[in-house]
Amino acid sequence: MDNRADIRPARDVALLFPGQGAQQRHMARGLYRRRADFRDRMDEVFDAWGPGAAELRDDWLAEHPGVDLDALEHAQPLLFAVDWALGRTVLDWGVRPVALLGHSVGEVAAAALAGVFTLQEAAGLMADRVAQLADTPAGGMLAVHASAEQLSGYLGADVVVGAVNGPRQVLLAGPQEPLDAAERRLRADGFTCRRARAGKPFHSPALAAAAELALPGLVGLPLRPPQLPLHSAYRPGPMSARTATDPCFWARQPAAPVLFGPALDGLLAARDVLLLEAGPGQGLTGLARRHPAVTSGRSAVLPLSPVRSGDDASDLETLRAAAELLADAGHLT
Amino acid sequence: MNTNHTTQFTIDDLRRIMRESAGQDEAVDLEGDILDTHFQELGYDSLALLETTSRIAREYGIAIADEDLDGAESPGALLQLVNQALTRV
Repeated sequence: MDNRADIRPARDVALLFPGQGAQQRHMARGLYRRRADFRDRMDEVFDAWGPGAAELRDDWLAEHPGVDLDALEHAQPLLFAVDWALGRTVLDWGVRPVALLGHSVGEVAAAALAGVFTLQEAAGLMADRVAQLADTPAGGMLAVHASAEQLSGYLGADVVVGAVNGPRQVLLAGPQEPLDAAERRLRADGFTCRRARAGKPFHSPALAAAAELALPGLVGLPLRPPQLPLHSAYRPGPMSARTATDPCFWARQPAAPVLFGPALDGLLAARDVLLLEAGPGQGLTGLARRHPAVTSGRSAVLPLSPVRSGDDASDLETLRAAAELLADAGHLT
Repeated sequence: MNTNHTTQFTIDDLRRIMRESAGQDEAVDLEGDILDTHFQELGYDSLALLETTSRIAREYGIAIADEDLDGAESPGALLQLVNQALTRV
């Protein structure tokens, strides 16, 4: 098993941006402390964020954060910030991606890089979203080793398929009690389950009314057609100008299912690419590594962050190694 | 530890069960020396790993505590854990 060798045949690059669940304590902190290019880009996000940015930054960098880093108000802005800053850094290097595909909040970061929103507008959308979703009921997401079809008997008005990550990886979403009940039934029936790190029933109807509150703000923005090849995990495939400029499409995302698996299938069926995961951890890298297009060697995958964050040296080394491989493959200009 | 049992569960057993647990039709690349490779680097996230261990537990009639599993980040560490559990059966 040699991940290094198999990126050698030059392939076009596609960027992947992770979403809720990928957050880690001190994610990308080593890059912020030690790389001026990444630090400048992160600071741009904090500047765009406005009120609360200093606390957000301090909680992120604190050795012993006194807050719940999985909570909506920390995880969502910091994921957006790290995804955007890492993606921006790679674009600054001269990488010209043939696709940008994000998972959940990762799609907002990708859209900001593609020019649908300015950074300022995207940060405003994220800040509004955090405020609007704050009072929604507690709940969560449950990863199940099963296909969406196998789970049809466990769904209801409250508990829905919140994300399809792959042929045997579905996340159910719902408010606490009904989700707990579904989990008990699934476990009793022999399904492998794992709670995702989310304190809200993301991508389920429980957030629908709160998500609609983002609409007035979005209607006031001059949404622009993507200037980079943006893909969507909500409507799997390349994102049309019409979709990208539809305020309802963006407003409803927190309550709509993420079809990342089908979106990745479509991307990898259309062409052979080198997938770069621009965000914390290697969650999407893992999904991609099990994908037939990657196991067959047609496409390849390269993470920009270590599996676990917290060690500055490994943050730096992972990004440095990725830059070296990209340079060797002729992607840096 | 009873040394008679330490080779009951081998890396090839683990490879087979990991492939069955991948959730894909085509085989994941688990060839070569993977003993010390992080599960994430092999494409196994926490859910795929849980599926792997629950299949091992069912097939071999053993129990592996979730707390123990947290420390097993590579095939080598998981092999050791399974073989320890087998000696307790």
